[in-house]
Amino acid sequence: MNIALLSVVLLLAIGSLVIKKSVPAIISFILMMFVLGLYYINLDAKMLGLFQIFIYTGGIMVLMLFGVTIIGTEFPKYKVKPFNAVAAFLLFLSISALFLRGVENLRLKLNQPVENVNLFSAEFSDFVIIFALIASSLLYATVKMSSTLKAKRSR
Amino acid sequence: MFEIEMLFAFALFSLGVYGVSSSRDFLRIFFSLEMLLNAVIMILATTAHHLGMTQNIVLAYMVMILATLEAAAGLLIFAAANKIAKVVSPDEFKGENNA
Repeated sequence: MNIALLSVVLLLAIGSLVIKKSVPAIISFILMMFVLGLYYINLDAKMLGLFQIFIYTGGIMVLMLFGVTIIGTEFPKYKVKPFNAVAAFLLFLSISALFLRGVENLRLKLNQPVENVNLFSAEFSDFVIIFALIASSLLYATVKMSSTLKAKRSR
Repeated sequence: MFEIEMLFAFALFSLGVYGVSSSRDFLRIFFSLEMLLNAVIMILATTAHHLGMTQNIVLAYMVMILATLEAAAGLLIFAAANKIAKVVSPDEFKGENNA
């Protein structure tokens, strides 16, 4: 079931990059995110799946439709770049090789008992601070950009 | 099973890298960036399920929130670029003074 869902995700992702009309490309992209949400639900991460479908997918859909109002229904002309495709494929191969080489060590390490239980909470608090900093800077960029647009309109 | 699911995540990540490096319009670049972040969320969720790293789910939520914020900020930058310089591609963008 998971493999079938992930195959659909990959096909829809390729479709969203290949389709020349913007609205079908957006529909393909949104469906990809929806199927990913179903995959998370299938993985027993129900809350994450529902969050993905209702909040993430919904928010992105509205933003992309806003983008369509600017670029119109057709994407600008686009050249296929074989060098970039080969580079992306090589990246896929190298990440996969690294992962498959280290996956057994990862499993062995995870089976060992955790020595310091508080280690994760100490690391996690750092993560939260970094994420909060990035989120606040993005929020600032959003507000600043909307005020720039407003000033441009009133000029 | 776990390995195959992770390979799918890597494929989605590579597809996103290809999209970012080869696209010539803002919207497709956003698609590709979201694909990159979705691949990361997918890796976090898959490892949480198969390896018992349940703390990864919390990180997945954080990445999801950042991805939505990034899309909002990015689309506003796109709107501003379009309004100021009348461009739909980052290649055409030369800044306010040169438009």
